[in-house]
Amino acid sequence: MNHSPVIQAIELTKHFGSHQVLKGVDLQIPAGSVVGLLGTNGSGKSTLIKCLLGLLKVSSGQARLLDEEAWNLSANAKAKLGYVPQVVKLYPWMRTKQVLDYAGAFYESWDEARVSELLSLWEMDGRKQIKTLSTGQLQRLGIILAMGHHPELLILDEPAASLDPQGRRSLLRSILEMTQDQRHTVLFSTHITSDLERVASHVAILKDGVIRYFGELDELKDSVKRLRISSNRPLPTDFVVPAALRTRIDGHSATAAVASVDEETIGQWERQWEAKITIEDLNLEDIFLEMHDG
Amino acid sequence: MHMTSSPLFHVSPSSGVPIFRQIKDQVHALLAAGTLKPGDMLPSVRELASQLEVNMMTVSKAYSRLEVDGVVERIRGKGMRVRLRDGGRSLTQRKAEFAEQMEPALHRGIQLGLSNEQMISVIQRLLQERKP
Repeated sequence: MNHSPVIQAIELTKHFGSHQVLKGVDLQIPAGSVVGLLGTNGSGKSTLIKCLLGLLKVSSGQARLLDEEAWNLSANAKAKLGYVPQVVKLYPWMRTKQVLDYAGAFYESWDEARVSELLSLWEMDGRKQIKTLSTGQLQRLGIILAMGHHPELLILDEPAASLDPQGRRSLLRSILEMTQDQRHTVLFSTHITSDLERVASHVAILKDGVIRYFGELDELKDSVKRLRISSNRPLPTDFVVPAALRTRIDGHSATAAVASVDEETIGQWERQWEAKITIEDLNLEDIFLEMHDG
Repeated sequence: MHMTSSPLFHVSPSSGVPIFRQIKDQVHALLAAGTLKPGDMLPSVRELASQLEVNMMTVSKAYSRLEVDGVVERIRGKGMRVRLRDGGRSLTQRKAEFAEQMEPALHRGIQLGLSNEQMISVIQRLLQERKP
């Protein structure tokens, strides 16, 4: 496995006029990882992806892809790349099979057999005209177009947005299949955390124009916990759990999400606050909400 | 749609417990229940990952941890095999691991206001209830 980062952002900023969307993104994505890019609507996920692909020019800092500057990608790098935009736009008069043949002609490594397999797996009719396809079907076609040449790096912008649950599951399965050999890298943006939990090895959380967290999903789940504190006496209104992402107080009890916690500190707090503290696991959605609300 | 189901393993991806830990815990549970026995082979990483529809890295992480814990051993070209009970480790090592497992339970017991005697009696009852 090659360990140099496949995707690299260094102090990357992007503004549109006076509107600053990305405010210094630092991100290093190792080869073989499956990274879910999480962020609320309007957090700049698409902008970041477009900068990383060289479809948008960064305002300052660097965007690097496959060891090349994203803005000046070589044909060789582009051949190793698959991209599914949020909205798939294709010639409306073409037929599905024609679109695939047309795209395939650009790639040496185009895998006709794999494309047919995906078409039948997702119950797509090659004879159908693009203008007659539903949004979900268009998105599936976009995914097949991006996967047909077995890209080393696959980037998907909200791939699951217009798919039904069955389609989403099927897409996730294809991503998993693709990453079995652990040489392929996948970056996909989403705001549906459950999609991510099954397939992602890593999570990147984009908030306020910077990457607030990047790391292994398991480590995130292992470190962020919710404390449920119930005291014998009323808690002060300015009660704060040290280093908490957020503290909520309600009379004698409080809850707080903390980024890391150890038994010793808990014991110490229990004595200090005359309280019982229970520790709860949080799933990704809980963690995401804790980071964003309040 | 055909749903694949693993006869032995099951994971909840949206749980707060990382998937690799769920798999690891289930191996322990299957061993405790006698469903898995020393000498049995675990499903291959690829097989289990595809059954559970999770990332292969997740399964191999679970297996590596089990290997470090001395629960399974890697057989070249074959996969992971459940070790004999002693696992070739010293009594001290095995006791240390047991102590590590017990600590959170004791902590909870204290929180629940149980006395030492009460906790010991619970452990004794559990041991007696176990099928030989």
